[in-house]
Amino acid sequence: MARLIKTEKEVEGNYSETWVVVEEDALDQWPAGPLTTVGREATRVDGAERAGGEALYTADLTFPGMLHVAVLRSPYSRARVRSLDLAPALEASGVRGVLGPGDVDALTDEPGYVGAPVAAVAADTDVQARAAVESISVEWELEEPLVDPDEAVEQKAFLREPRRYERGDLDRALSEADVVVEAEYRTQVALHNCMEPHGAVCRWVGDTLEVYISTQFIWGVRSDVAEALGLPEDRVRVVCEFMGGGFGSKNGPREHTYVAAELAKRTGRAVRCFNDRREENLDAGNRNATIQRLVAGARADGTLTALGGEFVNAVGFRGFSASTSGPMQMLYACANVRTTEYGTKLNVPPNAAFRAPGFVEGTFGLECLLDELAAKLEVDPLELRRKNHADSDLLDDRPFSSKNLLDCYRRAEPHWERRHDVRARTEGPWKRGVGLASQIWYGGGGPPSYAWVRVGSDGRVTVVTAMQDIGTGTRTAMAQIAAEELGVPLERVRVELGDSARGPYASISAGSSTTPSMGPAVRAAAADAARQIVEIAAQRYDLEQRVLSLKDGNVVSANGGSWSLEEVTGLLEDGQILGKGARGPNPTGMRVLTFGVQVAEVAVDVETGEIRVERVAAIHDVGRIINPLGARSQIEGGIIQAVGYALTEQRIDDPATGIPLTRTLDAYKVPTIADVPEIVAEFIDVPDEHLTNLGSKGLGEPPIIPTAAAIANAIRDATGADVHSLPITREEMLRALREARERSRDEVAAPTT
Amino acid sequence: MRALAGGTELVPLMRDHLVEAEMLVELREVVPRGIEGTRIGAGTTLAELEVDPQIPKALREACRLAASPQIRSMGTIGGNLLQATRCWYWRLKFPCWLHGGERCLAKAGAHREHAVFGNERCASAHPSDPAAALVALGARLRTSERELAVEDLYRLPTDDDRATVTLGPGELILELDVPAPEASTYLKAMDRKAFSFPLVGVAAARTGGETRIALSGVAPIPWKLDSLDEATPLPGTAFKLEIARALVDRALAEVGA
Repeated sequence: MARLIKTEKEVEGNYSETWVVVEEDALDQWPAGPLTTVGREATRVDGAERAGGEALYTADLTFPGMLHVAVLRSPYSRARVRSLDLAPALEASGVRGVLGPGDVDALTDEPGYVGAPVAAVAADTDVQARAAVESISVEWELEEPLVDPDEAVEQKAFLREPRRYERGDLDRALSEADVVVEAEYRTQVALHNCMEPHGAVCRWVGDTLEVYISTQFIWGVRSDVAEALGLPEDRVRVVCEFMGGGFGSKNGPREHTYVAAELAKRTGRAVRCFNDRREENLDAGNRNATIQRLVAGARADGTLTALGGEFVNAVGFRGFSASTSGPMQMLYACANVRTTEYGTKLNVPPNAAFRAPGFVEGTFGLECLLDELAAKLEVDPLELRRKNHADSDLLDDRPFSSKNLLDCYRRAEPHWERRHDVRARTEGPWKRGVGLASQIWYGGGGPPSYAWVRVGSDGRVTVVTAMQDIGTGTRTAMAQIAAEELGVPLERVRVELGDSARGPYASISAGSSTTPSMGPAVRAAAADAARQIVEIAAQRYDLEQRVLSLKDGNVVSANGGSWSLEEVTGLLEDGQILGKGARGPNPTGMRVLTFGVQVAEVAVDVETGEIRVERVAAIHDVGRIINPLGARSQIEGGIIQAVGYALTEQRIDDPATGIPLTRTLDAYKVPTIADVPEIVAEFIDVPDEHLTNLGSKGLGEPPIIPTAAAIANAIRDATGADVHSLPITREEMLRALREARERSRDEVAAPTT
Repeated sequence: MRALAGGTELVPLMRDHLVEAEMLVELREVVPRGIEGTRIGAGTTLAELEVDPQIPKALREACRLAASPQIRSMGTIGGNLLQATRCWYWRLKFPCWLHGGERCLAKAGAHREHAVFGNERCASAHPSDPAAALVALGARLRTSERELAVEDLYRLPTDDDRATVTLGPGELILELDVPAPEASTYLKAMDRKAFSFPLVGVAAARTGGETRIALSGVAPIPWKLDSLDEATPLPGTAFKLEIARALVDRALAEVGA
C-alpha cells in the first residue's frame, strides 16, 4: 500500500523535510557476501559501445537543420553593459537568431564575474556563431570587483548568514587541554573539467520541448525548465542516454538549456549550445577556495577535547556555501566543538557541487591538524583516530544505521605498518613517508525513485527507469541487481534509461545516492516480476507458490522440479510480465553515513620540492558492494582526481581583478597517467541492515575525501614539513621544508631548561 | 601567410587569434627532415630525436621530457625553437608589454610560472626544453638566409623591438648542427610528471674541458647561465632559483664538470 510519510531528504549534506509517498520495502535483505551476480565482478554492460564510439553522448547529437550557439561572455569581473549593439551579429553570415540580456534570465547586463553569459547567437555553423559573437560591440562600465574572501568577511558580503555551530564549551576545553595546536589551511579553486563539457540541444516538437542534455538529474532539469518556461512538466521531455562526467556540476539546466530552448522557439530549429574547453574552465562551476583557521586541544593521553574552526568559503558570485565544517563536527567524538562558516559573495565564477563539496576541503584541514596534534602528543596517528572514534552521531545524538570505521582502521594496519619499510627506502634527497586520513560523508540516498521490470515471453529482462548513468557504471549495477533477483544471467538483462518520457521518476545522481536510491527500487520491481512468474508457474504445474523459486534461469521447485524460465514465460506468447518497484523509506531516527580511511605513501625530493605519490591504499565502508570491479573504478577515479587536487590542479586568477588566467588544460593541470600512484582498494562489504532491501550506500564521493590530507600527512612523515595549502606545488613544498628547517634550528638553538 | 610544419604551436595560436593568417604554407617538402651525424633537418620531429642514439643526451632528454607523445610525433625541432611564451597574460591577449602595451602584467600579477632572469621589461618564460639543450650544446643553425649559433636566434625584447627571435620575415630554419659533447644532460622540474612546460629546465654539456649550462623556463628566452647570483626573481618565482641551484649541481655532477 502506498504510504504518505514525512521524510528527511539529504543531497550532498543538505537536509530537507519533504512529504513523499513511499511503498513499503517488504523484501528481506539478501545474505551478506557475494551472491550469484551481485557482489561479483561485472564488466560494464555498455563498455564496448562506449569504447567503440557507438554510444551517443549529448555532445555528439545532431538533428537536421540544427543550429549552433556561441555565447558572448563577460570579460570583466564586475561591470555593467552601458550599450550593446546586436545588429552586426544579426546581419552576420549564417546567423538565424540572437539573444541579448533579458531575453532569457540567464543572460545579464550586469555581470558579476568573468564568463557570465551576456548574449547568444545561433548560426548554421559553430564557426559562424563565434564570428558573429565577436562582431557584437559592447560598451562596458567597469566597477571595482571584490575578490579577497577575508575582505568580503569584513564587509559582510555573504551569500547567506554565517553558519555557527557549537557543542560543549570550546574556550574552557582549550584552557584545560594538555596540548593545543593551531593552524591555518588554504585550499584552491578546483575545476571539474568533465570530459564532456556542459551543454544541451533543444528542439520543439509541437508544444513539447525536448531537452537533450548532459545532466546528473533528468527529472530536476524537467521540473526546472517547466517552471521557468511556464510549461506543464509533461510538456518537457529530458533525455540523457550517455554522459561524460558531471562530478556535481551538472545538476541543473544552466544557461545552455534556456538559451537553446528560446532560440529553438524563435527559429523553429533544433539548437545546440555547448561550452568549449575555455568556457568550461571559466563558467561551469568549481570547488571554491577556502581559508580554514583551526584549533584542536587534547589531553596528554590523546583524548580529543576541543575542536574549533573559522571557515571562509570563497563561494563566488552565486552558488552555495558547502559544509566545510562538517568533518570537524562529525568525524570524532569530541565534546567541545565550535565552528563558524562564512559563505562569501565575490566577483569570481560561481561554485557548483564538486564531488563531496565542503568535506573534501574540510577534511584536508581537519586531518592535517590531527596529525600535527599527534606529532605534538607523540601519539601514533592511527591510534589517535581510534581513540577518538565516534560511536554515535554527535550532531543530534542519533545512532548510525551502520558504521564499520573501526574495521576500516583494522584493515588499514598492514598498509600503515609499511611505513617502517617505506621510510627505510629514503635515499639521497628523496625522503619517503606514509600518512593516513579518515573519511566521513553522506551517501544513503532516499525516496522517491521508481523502476519497472519487463520480462518477455523469451525470458529476457528489461529494466526501465528514467535515471541517468553519469559514467559511474550504474547501468551495470542495476542490471546485476535485476539479474540476481530474477535468477537470470546478467547478459539476459537490458537497462533502458535516460529518457523522462520513457520511464518513471528516478533520483538525482549526486551525493553518492544513485545506487542506494535506485538499487532498491530496481530490486523491488524485479521481485514483483519474479512473484508473478512464480504465480504463473504454480498454476501451470499445480504447485504451491512457496515451494518455487527462480535460479540460474530456471523456475525451481523445492520438490525437485525445474523448468526453464522461457518455458514458463513462453506461455505468455505476446504477453509480458510487468513488475514495478519503488524505493522505500530511510530508517527513522538514524544517521546514514559512509566511512573510510586512506593510507598514502610519498617520496619527496627535498632539494627541488618534487613530490611523488607512490601508493594509496583505500579502505571504505559503504555497505554492500554490488559490483566490486565498478566499485574499484570509483575508488581509482576518486583518488586520481584527489591527487590532482592535492598536487597540481588550481585555477589561477589575476590577484587584482579576479580574472581567471588558466583556461586551457596546459595551464590547468589535471594529473596525467604518469602521476597516478599504485591504488589498492578494499571494501568492508557488509550490508547496512537498516538501509533498504539492499544495504548498499553510495561510493561516488567517499574516495576523493581523505586523499589530500593523507598525502600531506605522508609528506610530514617523510620530511617533518607541515604543508598548509593546496595544491602542494613546488613552492609550497619548499616553503614548508624551509619552515621545518628553521624550526629545528630554533629548537637546537634554544637553551635546555 | 605563415609557415606550417607540425602545427602543434601554430594551430593553437591561430585558434586564440594570436596569429592571423589567410594562408598557410606547408613546409614538409621544403625543410629537410632526418638525422645525419651532427646534422639534423629542422623538420625532424621531437619523437625522432628522443630515440636516436646519435643525438647527444641533453637534446634527447629535452625532447623526451617535452609535451606529450602525440605532440612530439607532430612537432618539429625547428618549430619547437620558435614557440611563443605560455605567459597567461600574453596568451589571453591582455594588453601587456610584450603585446606592445605599457607594462608587464605578470610582474604585479600572477607569475609563478614566470622568469627569474632577463625580466626587467617582461617576465615571460621561454617554454622550449630543446632550445636550452641546444644552447648548452653550442649548436648552430642554417636558415634560408644565414648560419648562426642557436643562442643568437634569441634576443631579449627591448622597448623598440619586442621580438624574442632574430629571424627576418620569410626566413626559415632549415638545418641544425649539433656537435657531439663529451657528456651532456638535461634535467627538468615541472608541475606534473609529463605534459607540462618547464618550471626550470637545466641543460649541461661538457666539451673540451669547458662546461656550458643553459636554462629553460626561467627567462623570456633560453638562458645561457653565467651565474645564478645574477638572478632577479619576482616574489612568486624565487622558488625557481632554489630548484635551479639543485638541478645545476646535479647536472654538473652528471657531466663530470
